[in-house]
Amino acid sequence: MRYVKLYLTCIKRSMMSRLEYKKDSIISILSFLISNACSLGSIFFILQAIPSLKGYTPAEVGFFYGFSMLPIALDHLFSDEFWLVAYRRVQLGDMDRHFLRPVPVIFQMFAETFQPDGFGEIIVGVTMITICGLNLQTSVSFGAIFVLIIGAIFGAIIITSFKIALSSLAFIFKKSGPLLQIVYNFTIYAKYPIAIYPQAIRFILIFILPFGLFISLPVDTLLYGSYNPYLLSLIIVGAAIAFFALATLIWTLCARRYESTGS
Amino acid sequence: MSVCCFVVDDFQYFQDEGHTTTKEPSTRDASFFCLARCGTIRNDTKGILNMIQVQNLSKIFRKPIRGKGLVGMLATLFSRKYTEIRAVDDVSFDIMEGEIVGYIGSNGAGKSTTIKMMCGILTPTSGKVLIDDKEPYLKRRIVAKDIGVVFGQKSQLWWDIPLIESFKVLKEVYQVSDSDYEERIQFLSSVLGVDEFMNQPVRTLSLGQRMRADLAASMLHNPKILFLDEPTIGMDVLVKDKIRTAIHALNAKYHTTVVLTTHDMADIENLCSRIIMIEKGKIIYDGPLGNIKRRFGNIKTLTLTIPPSVDPNEVKPFSEDVMMELDEDHKDKVMLKFDADKVVLEHIIQYSFSQYHAIDMKITDISIEDVVKKILAQQEEEHE
Repeated sequence: MRYVKLYLTCIKRSMMSRLEYKKDSIISILSFLISNACSLGSIFFILQAIPSLKGYTPAEVGFFYGFSMLPIALDHLFSDEFWLVAYRRVQLGDMDRHFLRPVPVIFQMFAETFQPDGFGEIIVGVTMITICGLNLQTSVSFGAIFVLIIGAIFGAIIITSFKIALSSLAFIFKKSGPLLQIVYNFTIYAKYPIAIYPQAIRFILIFILPFGLFISLPVDTLLYGSYNPYLLSLIIVGAAIAFFALATLIWTLCARRYESTGS
Repeated sequence: MSVCCFVVDDFQYFQDEGHTTTKEPSTRDASFFCLARCGTIRNDTKGILNMIQVQNLSKIFRKPIRGKGLVGMLATLFSRKYTEIRAVDDVSFDIMEGEIVGYIGSNGAGKSTTIKMMCGILTPTSGKVLIDDKEPYLKRRIVAKDIGVVFGQKSQLWWDIPLIESFKVLKEVYQVSDSDYEERIQFLSSVLGVDEFMNQPVRTLSLGQRMRADLAASMLHNPKILFLDEPTIGMDVLVKDKIRTAIHALNAKYHTTVVLTTHDMADIENLCSRIIMIEKGKIIYDGPLGNIKRRFGNIKTLTLTIPPSVDPNEVKPFSEDVMMELDEDHKDKVMLKFDADKVVLEHIIQYSFSQYHAIDMKITDISIEDVVKKILAQQEEEHE
């Protein structure tokens, strides 16, 4: 309860920082609207040009694409600060103040920035899901919707776990941004049905960097009933808990190596 | 309660005296602390608390040996050679509750590294630190409630929101109650004047204002120990004075233990009852300031600018107590070093005008670097 209150206070602070610069706020809201409209437009444009992708209709590919944006957007909302940790903050010795406060450093990272850009991605994603979903020729079961919701929420936790684990390597190497970037880019592959990929990449996307696990498999479940939705949900939740626990452990171990900078 | 007031009165007395007469802080501070100690009535029989214990503390940084230039840097990627830098080398000391200790040394002596280990940012390579019987790097969150930290070079406040909003966040972070918060803000406004710029974003504050704000922020949760790393760096005289007064007031009111690093001799004379001096990671002196002064006297340097017509070597020395030094690069400068307790300032200034025909002059106190040099030289002599 204390942390909920503290989180809200910090988020309020983060939003105030953003609004402190008036013109900057207006520009960022405008650019946010424009970029989201553009991305939505370009996706539909591309989809109209593709007749089909390994048996998937354009509407189905669009559904994949739209759904994949949800876990990514949720992660974007809450954990943007870890990019800065990976790229800059450890290297500049800018983490000192967080180590001085009686609150877990990892919590402070979540509370440091709230990234409303994520809302835009959610809107774009939901719009695509709705439009493409109406064009699907399948009957939608409750289980399939359930596994999609689980996939979006716990998928976000898995993405965040990767961000935590990889950004904490910066405590040892001073900078881990490029590595984080490479791993994060794998989410791009997960925007399409994994059936289109060769066996090796499929294996990676399910067992190692499990972005396919919570994006492709739930959507396949919805479209073709490929998997048992409840079992799949259980696996996704289990994976999310395991990855998050591992990530926080790695963070804790690495944070002890923080060296600060001379002053 | 009456004891408490007495402490404050006595402290005031000490401070007023300090400005007007020649100082002998060691004895006066001792009496002050004696009183301060009486002020804390404790249930335990141990009496005064050992607030900070540092035992055989070392920090070694391993750095790869780098080659020169781009080729050398590339070669470094494949080499396994490391140099070990002993930033802090087997350091031990205890600090009592309510003490104000100056932790001093030249640049790169290991001060900040020690402070960072004491507040839990860095983990020691060996040895340990106990803050109120807890190791800060192991029980970081618990210790964090008991300490306040100001790094002169790094602000802890949020850059682009008004100061008061930063304070509100910190209030939540440290779980300060509403009544405590109100009381603390009032106190900090009166001693540091933070209310003047409470509604300004931190980025618009001047350096002096920002330091006052940072200091106030570190005191909001009423820490038992305050670590101040260069709190007066780059400040003008008025701000320095305000900061010193605030530290004194805080120490008197809440009985806060203060550890500060500084390069300013005046800070040390004004604030510290005890100094710990570190050089190349090792402690070279730990004791009252008075002892240092007794050992090295109240040494001042009078720097004169003389006209080219005067040859300083031909001028008869003022007395045996005055050392003359010449600067090879600046032929027009003469430096006279003397013990201000033995030489009357007025006389030597008159002498400078009449004999050296000085055009300009500047008086400086002995610098920390000079004291360090002198202590090291003396220790070498003792070894031989």
